[in-house]
Amino acid sequence: MTVTEPLTVRPPQYVGARVLRVEDNKYLMGRGRYLDDLALPGMLQAAFVRSPHAHARIASIDISAAKALKGVVEVLTGAELAKMGTPLVADLQREEVLPVGKELLATDKVRHVGEAVAIVIAESRYLAEDGAQLVSVEYEPLPALVDPEQALSHGAVLLHDDVPGNNVAHIEFDSGGVEEAFAKADRVFTKRFHAGRQHAAPLETRGVMADYNPGTGHLTIWSSTQLPHFLRTLIAPHLQMSERHLTVIAPDVGGGFGLKCHVFVEEAIIPLVAKRLRRPVKWVEDRVENLAASGHAKEIVMDIDIAVTNDGRFLAFRGRYIGDCGAYSGYPWTALIDPLAAANLLPSLYDVREMSFQVDAVLTNKCQTTAYRGPGMAPGHLARETLIDDIAHELGMDPVELRIKNCIGPEPYVTVNNMRFDGGSYVESIRKAQELVDYDRFREAQAAARAEGRYLGIGFSPFVEAGTWGSEGAKALGFPAEFYDTASVTVEPDGTVTVTTGTFNHGQGHHTSLAQLAADRLGVRIENVRVVDGDTSKAVWGAGTYASRSAVVAGGSILYAATEVRNKLLALAGSLLEASPDDIELYDGQASIKGVPEKSLPIAQLAGVGYFGGALRPEGQEPTLSATRYYDPPQTYSNGVVVAIVEVDAETGRVDLQRVVAVEDCGTMLNPLIVEGQVHGAVAQGIGAALYESLEYDESGQLLSGTLMDFLYPSSTEVPTIEVSHIVTPSPVTEGGMKGMAEGGTIAAPAAVINAIADALTPFGAVIRHAPVRPADVLALIEAGRA
Amino acid sequence: MSTVSENLQPVVEDEITIEVTINGSPRSGRAEPRLLLADFLRQQLGLTGTHLGCEHGVCGACTVLIDGEPVRSCLMFAIQARGADITTVEGLDDDGELHPVQQAFHAKHGLQCGFCTPGMVLTCKALLDHNPTPSEPEIRDFLSGNICRCTGYVGIVESVKEAAAAGRGVSPAAPASTTTER
Amino acid sequence: MKPASFKYACPTSVQEAVGLLQHFGDDAKVLAGGQSLVPMMNGRLAQPDVLIDINQIAELRVLEVNGGLRIGAGVRQRTALESPDVQRVVPVIAEALRHVGHVGIRARGTVGGSIAHADPAAELPTIMLALDATMTVTGAGGQRTVPAEEFFRGVFTTAVEYDELLTGVHVAVPGPASRSAFVEVSRRRGDFALVGAAVSLELIDGAARRVRIALSGVADRPVLAHRAQEFLEGRDPHDPVVREEAGRLAAADLDPASDIHAPGSYRKKVSAVLVKRALSNAVNGE
Repeated sequence: MTVTEPLTVRPPQYVGARVLRVEDNKYLMGRGRYLDDLALPGMLQAAFVRSPHAHARIASIDISAAKALKGVVEVLTGAELAKMGTPLVADLQREEVLPVGKELLATDKVRHVGEAVAIVIAESRYLAEDGAQLVSVEYEPLPALVDPEQALSHGAVLLHDDVPGNNVAHIEFDSGGVEEAFAKADRVFTKRFHAGRQHAAPLETRGVMADYNPGTGHLTIWSSTQLPHFLRTLIAPHLQMSERHLTVIAPDVGGGFGLKCHVFVEEAIIPLVAKRLRRPVKWVEDRVENLAASGHAKEIVMDIDIAVTNDGRFLAFRGRYIGDCGAYSGYPWTALIDPLAAANLLPSLYDVREMSFQVDAVLTNKCQTTAYRGPGMAPGHLARETLIDDIAHELGMDPVELRIKNCIGPEPYVTVNNMRFDGGSYVESIRKAQELVDYDRFREAQAAARAEGRYLGIGFSPFVEAGTWGSEGAKALGFPAEFYDTASVTVEPDGTVTVTTGTFNHGQGHHTSLAQLAADRLGVRIENVRVVDGDTSKAVWGAGTYASRSAVVAGGSILYAATEVRNKLLALAGSLLEASPDDIELYDGQASIKGVPEKSLPIAQLAGVGYFGGALRPEGQEPTLSATRYYDPPQTYSNGVVVAIVEVDAETGRVDLQRVVAVEDCGTMLNPLIVEGQVHGAVAQGIGAALYESLEYDESGQLLSGTLMDFLYPSSTEVPTIEVSHIVTPSPVTEGGMKGMAEGGTIAAPAAVINAIADALTPFGAVIRHAPVRPADVLALIEAGRA
Repeated sequence: MSTVSENLQPVVEDEITIEVTINGSPRSGRAEPRLLLADFLRQQLGLTGTHLGCEHGVCGACTVLIDGEPVRSCLMFAIQARGADITTVEGLDDDGELHPVQQAFHAKHGLQCGFCTPGMVLTCKALLDHNPTPSEPEIRDFLSGNICRCTGYVGIVESVKEAAAAGRGVSPAAPASTTTER
Repeated sequence: MKPASFKYACPTSVQEAVGLLQHFGDDAKVLAGGQSLVPMMNGRLAQPDVLIDINQIAELRVLEVNGGLRIGAGVRQRTALESPDVQRVVPVIAEALRHVGHVGIRARGTVGGSIAHADPAAELPTIMLALDATMTVTGAGGQRTVPAEEFFRGVFTTAVEYDELLTGVHVAVPGPASRSAFVEVSRRRGDFALVGAAVSLELIDGAARRVRIALSGVADRPVLAHRAQEFLEGRDPHDPVVREEAGRLAAADLDPASDIHAPGSYRKKVSAVLVKRALSNAVNGE
């Protein structure tokens, strides 16, 4: 699958090195430019009027007082917006899936607390909020559905008339012999697990600014998005505009974690309003809007059954996944983003030849669900991995040995549901983690502590991460569509390099890691490479950055394009140095004859010839040095392990997370510094899922965790130092050997922490069935065990 | 302005001019009483390095130093800052030369998306000005009011140790990380 | 989230502030450190017509030891926490202050602001109740003092009338026999407590005297554990059985409310644990 032989006779200058990030200074100096930092002359600001009800008919809206307020320029309701643009309809190319539409602003019905019913545009955000307070909406409350199983039940009120049973999709998979395997199994273990309702909650909320030029007919949209090109393609029809008249710019973006890989109604509304008013308009989501009305994630009720032999061999897995998907189907990925991804990754790294699952994506009167780091995979992992610990306990086996007994080998492996793993350090990473935590000694310390009435616990959580998201990988996870990315690589006339990509850096360090790849392939210094992204008028088309895809997909397309340009440089050098292009090496800014370093030319000089050399160029070589290529990788999966060690205070239920060790294998690492940063961040978010973060609704559908006083991010006192260790098993199938990474920590850490708590509470026979685990839950488990 | 009675301070209702010292220089701008200090810095003075992550005092992204103390600028009105000596992130570097705390964040990968970074860097500066040799628990405690969603705080804590060590002219031990190549 | 408009006054003396309060009555709110009020204003949950900013009143920023510890209402929490006087004379106040929010909150938040806000889960009201502190309240008619037990009246409700200002808090200098401690359990460091316990007692010939035990997060205000206090009177708190029983009695009469962070039953149980632990810390040192 490689397009060229090894890069040079020398090892790569940059790939694999801990190169410090080239993008840091602007952020450190406060010179980043995020959405809310942008302003245009004459700019107006918007605020939304949002529903206080979970489910209600809109009887009337009175905007007259708001319109009369000094400083308010316009107030628009859903009825008016419906004339200006069209609803966002989320659908998937699968026959089981029903399309679900979301009006730009609600017209007849609101379906969750925080749903927008009107927009106020004013001279400032302060005035817009003053106006919003004056909009008077009369609601007729309807019964609210907050339990997905109730929503599925016969006779439940319908959220959308065209979605019978409130079910966006019922999807089944069966390998054929599952029931037989369960019938003949020695033991069958079953668990219901309810994963908590989470939020990606990037520190920068979402935001949109738009400016329409009636003189050119051109509309520019700035959005805090992860996918500027894809946003343009998806939003154009809703604006009734052609893509040639739309520019989408993602400025600096303060984190996304999946939330911003969606397209939201505000991304249609703000451009439509700017076009109508002929003035720039900006809307910045505030944190309360962000928590109530952007995208929730990962709440799934799961029933997992595992058929096991007496000696601990897994024979079959069975899963039922009921996604609590909220009031709409997130656009464009749909409400299946959690429950279907959870189901398809049920086998994980276990060698199981029989599996069945059922998935329901259920609509409830809560905020819609969207992708969040490790979508579906994280809650699914929690259900399976906590059950495996329970099984080990029941069978009297060591939980690590039980896992290893059932683990696949290091070679490529095709799962029962046809995921094609490209090989990895599945067992080796577990063994390495065991060594790092000194497992045997921990067990001794645990026993000694128990004798003193102290409760220590350890949790192992090995994972396979289904990232990367090329066409094949997306299809394997249940989302059949075409996903690839494009890159252009240009050696400029002075020999410096410009790379453009359709992926988009919003904190991942692409301007460094992708530059490392291009620099090595072209033999130039990294400081002479610039990566351009985030602007549809400057960078080539691409699907954006999410699902841990950029190193592989952008990386592969850059390698392809850079190789084309490299071949032009080699031909130029061969011609000028009177040698065969095959004998030329490009390294550190110089082209030289291999083994004859004194016969060399600066690459800058080659570039000059490439542009202006006329007859000096080899015959037939066109002027300029540029190439654009696309890459759609085959399936690739990184793997690893997260281990957590906790001490539980049995009197207060407080969990002291004492140690976290992560082993990561993502194939070829472009930059270990960046890989480690991704592991650290992913694990911290997993700690949040295990212990802190949860969006809670009451029975009437009121959101009880609507601010950061109640939705609890882990802070520096809740996250210990995360020790990271690497194993490198290059992918045999991807260009460059990279495997997508950055979600494994979020997938695996929750189960590591929760298994550690359950392990600490072994004397009480604790079985944990939900996340997050609060001190009160721990205490309840202890008391149940004592009773 | 109006006066409620002869003896009383004037009550401000409308926009007034606010004069402050920012990063060592006098600056002024207009503000009505309700204008938050963060918005005053960002909108009136163009200092957009001060970020707003929650506007209810939890995330710490809007932290600035007032007379050297880390303060959430979303919980102060600009009118309260009249005459104050304010340091924002834009005031840390010396004509493009990074402050040692900024340099340490670069060296130890103490940032990813950059949104929490200004508040984080200023809080770290306040810590080291106050306590040049903090222990790790002291670092973590001091930073616990500044949320970072990207780094898991690992790089940030290392950055503070690095900056503290740089202040003492020594280099802290590198954190554990091992690689097995195939 | 941007606050609604308001009128702003910035008095430089208590007298002026009280005059403004009298003039504007219920339409006015006092702005101290702003760490609780401004979030509510930003979310438009509070929309005062007039804001009376007391941050420029120098006389409120006095912290002195003079026949007791007197902390002016305007003293910043961080100043109080780091005050050698506080650490020397009543160190348990610093112990409690360490749990108040984070450094950026304490840098701005005031001692008086937290007490006057009267959040039932807050640390300062609880420790002041345990220390039998006296609040000084100033109105047009002059000053009056209110013991902590009478000061806290309910959720966000105190004995301060609309035209009065909390100007200070006074704590008697503890004698050499005094012992005290503060402990709490919260979801994360710096969060409001799920439950907090503060104890103060004198240890005379191995027996506890003048015992005060205050609990936070278990009622609509910080409360004293009267039965536990009475039980401990004259008993030896070094005895774990005595502490256990004191904890049990402290929790016995509580009926705390539930929220998303913990059910009331949890708060009740953990009250017993924290009282036990606070007593242990007080007499054995931490």
